Amino acid sequence: MSVLTCVLDSMGSSCSRSDLLSESETTENAKSADIDRRILQETKAEQHIHKLLLLGAGESGKSTIFKQIKLLFQTGFDETELKSYISVIHANVYQTIKILYDGAKELSQVESDSSKYVISPDNQEIGEKLSEIDGRLVYPLLNKKLVHDVKKLWQDPAIQETFSRGSILQLPDCAEYFMENLDRLAEADYAPTKEDVLHARVRTNGVVQIQFSPVGESKRGGEVYRLYDVGGQRNERRKWIHLFEGVNAVIFCAAISEYDQMLFEDETKNRMMETKELFDWVLKQRCFEKTSFMLFLNKFDIFERKIQKVPLTVCEWFKDYKPIAPGKQEVEHAYEFVKKKFEELYFQSSKPDRVDRVFKIYRTTALDQKLVKKTFKLIDESMRRSREGT
Amino acid sequence: MPQYQELPCGGQELDIDTALKDGILGGAPELGDATAGDGGKQPVELRKMMDELDAAGDGGGDEAVPAVFICPISLEPMVDPVTLCTGQTYESANISRWLALGHRTCPTTMQELWDVTPIPNTTLRQLIAAWFSRRYTRFKKRSADFHGRAAELVHGLRGTAVPKRQPLKGQARVAALRELRSLATNHQSVTKAIAEAGGVALLTSLLGPFTSHAVGSEAVAILVSGVSLDADAKAALMQPAKVSLLVDMLNEGAVDTKINCVRLIRILMDEKGFRPETVASLSLLVGVMRLVRDKNHPDGVAAGLELLSSICAVHRPARCLIVSIGAVPQLVELLLELPTECVEPALDILDALAIVPEGRIALKDCPRTIPNAVRLLMRVSEACTQRALSMLWVVCRMAPEESAPAALDAGLGAKLLLVIQSGCGPELKQQASELLKLCTLNCTSTVFISKCKLTKTIQ
Repeated sequence: MSVLTCVLDSMGSSCSRSDLLSESETTENAKSADIDRRILQETKAEQHIHKLLLLGAGESGKSTIFKQIKLLFQTGFDETELKSYISVIHANVYQTIKILYDGAKELSQVESDSSKYVISPDNQEIGEKLSEIDGRLVYPLLNKKLVHDVKKLWQDPAIQETFSRGSILQLPDCAEYFMENLDRLAEADYAPTKEDVLHARVRTNGVVQIQFSPVGESKRGGEVYRLYDVGGQRNERRKWIHLFEGVNAVIFCAAISEYDQMLFEDETKNRMMETKELFDWVLKQRCFEKTSFMLFLNKFDIFERKIQKVPLTVCEWFKDYKPIAPGKQEVEHAYEFVKKKFEELYFQSSKPDRVDRVFKIYRTTALDQKLVKKTFKLIDESMRRSREGT
Repeated sequence: MPQYQELPCGGQELDIDTALKDGILGGAPELGDATAGDGGKQPVELRKMMDELDAAGDGGGDEAVPAVFICPISLEPMVDPVTLCTGQTYESANISRWLALGHRTCPTTMQELWDVTPIPNTTLRQLIAAWFSRRYTRFKKRSADFHGRAAELVHGLRGTAVPKRQPLKGQARVAALRELRSLATNHQSVTKAIAEAGGVALLTSLLGPFTSHAVGSEAVAILVSGVSLDADAKAALMQPAKVSLLVDMLNEGAVDTKINCVRLIRILMDEKGFRPETVASLSLLVGVMRLVRDKNHPDGVAAGLELLSSICAVHRPARCLIVSIGAVPQLVELLLELPTECVEPALDILDALAIVPEGRIALKDCPRTIPNAVRLLMRVSEACTQRALSMLWVVCRMAPEESAPAALDAGLGAKLLLVIQSGCGPELKQQASELLKLCTLNCTSTVFISKCKLTKTIQ
C-alpha cells in the first residue's frame, strides 16, 4: 500500500517536474526529430538519383557532353544563356587567330622551308594589332572591321599553312568552325545557335552539375540522373576524387583524335599518353571499386579525318599499329585498334575482383546531338538492367 | 455490306441478317442458332474463349470489343448479361454483388430502382457469344498459320508490308521480334519462311553500335534458331561493330542471351573468311569465362567451354590473352565441380594453354592443379585421363622438387599404378610410368609405398 502511494506520489511529482523541463525539451526533441526526418527523406530521395561523373583529360569533350545533355533533356539554353556565350565565342576567335599568328612566326624561324610561314607585311600589321587585343583582360566584341581583319589574316597562305600544322600548336578544335562563320558572328544582332554554343571553348573551373530526367518512349516513371562535370586539366585530382565515391557510373571521355597533340599544361607530353595514365589512375581508385565505367571514345569525326593523314604510330602507345587498306576500312580498323588498347588497359588495371564491374565503350562525337541521344539511351538501358539485376 | 431499309416514317432500319454476316454485330453464320438451350454450358465456354484470347494478347485482333458488350461495373466483356428496369445491362455477378450490398440505385444512371429483378438479356448474350466465337476461330486459324504470321512479322519489321507502313520501331519492334523468336524456336519450319521474307538481312541490319539490348537479344536468338545464314550474311555479321555488340550482350545479358551470342560467334568462326583476331578480345574472353563459372546454368558452361576451346584451337595469340585474364586458376578450380560432359573440354583448354609459357607458369602457380588433376585420373574417360596426365607432367617437370611430393601426397602414386595396370592405350601407360619415375626420383620405396597407401597384396 505504501509502495503504491509512493509510486502514485512520484508519478504525480514526476509529471509536474517534467512539466517545467518538458516545454523546452519537447521543442528541442521536436526539432531534432524534424531534422532526422528530413535527413531520412533526403537520403531516400538521393538514393533514387543516379549519379554520373564526367572525367577525362582537358579538352576531351566532357563539357560538350554536359551541354548536350542540357539541350536534350532539360529546357536547353534560353535566349539569355545563348547570348551569354557571345563573349566566349568572340574570345575563342581572338585566341585562335593569335595562336595561329604566333605559330606562324615561330615556324618561320624554326622550320627549314620557312618561306611558307612568312606572313605578308599588311597581314603582319593586322597580326600585331590582334595580338595586342588578345593581351588585354577583356576582349572587345567583334565588329565588322575586326572581322574583316581577322578574315584577311586567316586567309593568308602562311596562316593556312600554319593551320595545317595545328596539332603542334595548342589550337582549339573549334578553330576552323569559328573562322568559317566569322561574318555571322560579328553581326549586330548575333544570337549564338546551339551549334555555336556546343563549339565554344571555355575551361571548366570547379564542379558543375545538372539534374535531369530522360523521358523515353515508354515514359517510365521518373528516373532521375545527376551529371557532374569537373575540370580536366592537371591539378590535385587525388584530393577531391574520393568525394565522388557514391556515383553510379563514371563517364570517362577520351578524345581519340589527339594522338598527335601535346598537353596544354606541358607541351612535352603527348595528350593520348596523358589520357592513358589518367584512365589507369581512375580505374585503380578505391572509391570506384564498384562503379560502372562508360568509356566515351570521343571526337570520332576528327579522328576519321586525321587518320588518313597522320598515322597512329606517332603516339607511343599505338606504335605497334599496322595499317591495312586506305579509305573507310582503315578508319574502322584504326578505331578497333584504339578500342582494343583501351580494353587491354582496363583489364590490366582492374584487379580480379573488380573485373565484374560494368565496363562499356561507346564511340561518340559529342557535337552530334542525335548520336549523343542514342548513346545516352543505351546507357540508360544498361544502367536500368544492372539495377534490376538482369 | 449491311443493308438499310427505308422506313415509311423516314428512318433507316438495319437489316439484321446482313449486319450479322458482315460482322457489324459480330454474329457468325456458323453459330447462327446459338439457342439458349444449353444456357448452362455456354457461359463456361465463352469464358474459356475470352480467357484464351486475353492470355494470347490476341495479336490477331484488329477490332476492339464493341462497347455495348462491356459491363459498366467491371469494364470487362459480359458473359451473362442481365438488364435492369432502367434499361441498363450489367454482368449478372457484378450487379448481384451491388444489390447485395444494399444499393437500390442503378449504377450508371443513379435512378432509384422500382424493381430490382434482373432480366437475363439472352439476345445480347447470343451476340456476345457469336462475336467472340468468330474472333476465336479467326485467332485459332492465324495461330496455326505460323509461316504466314512469321512472314507478316518480318514484313512489318522491314516496312515492306502491304499496305505500305513504316517499319516498326521502339516497343512495337521489340514485341514483334519477341513473337518472331518464339515462332522460330517452337516451329523449326518457320525459319525458312523468315529467310524467304528477307528476315536475315533485316536482323543483321538491326545489329549495330546503337542497338538496344532488348532488340539485340531477340535478333540474335532468331539468328541462331536455325535460320540458314548465307555467306553474305555471315560476312556482314563479322563486322567489328556487330561483333562488339555481341560481346557486350554476352557480358550483360541473361543466360540464354549469353548462350545465343556464344552460339552465333561459334557459327561465324566456322565460316571461311573469319578473321581470328576478332575473337582476340579481352571483353569477349572475360564474358565467356564468367559464363563458364556460372554453376547454376550448365548449358552456359558447356557452350562457353566449347567456344573457348575453339578459340584456343584457332588463334594462338588468344591463348596468352586467356591466361592473362586469370582463366587458368579459374578453370582448375572448376574441374571437380563441372558436369561430366564438360570435363573433357575444360581439360582440352588447359592443355592448349599449357603450350604457351605463361600458361605453364599459371598452371604451376595454381595450388589446386595437382590435387584436382590427380583426382581426375581414371575418373571420367581415357581422354580426360590423358589430358590430366599431361598437365601433371607439365607441372612436375617445371618444378620437380615441390611438385613431386605434393603430387604423391595427393595420391598420385596409386593412381599411376592403376593407369599402368588398366586397359588404357600403350602411350598412356608409357606416360604414366614416366611420370611415376619422375615423381619417385627422390623417394625411397618405403615412403612411396606409404604414400600410396597400398595394401599388402599389391605390395
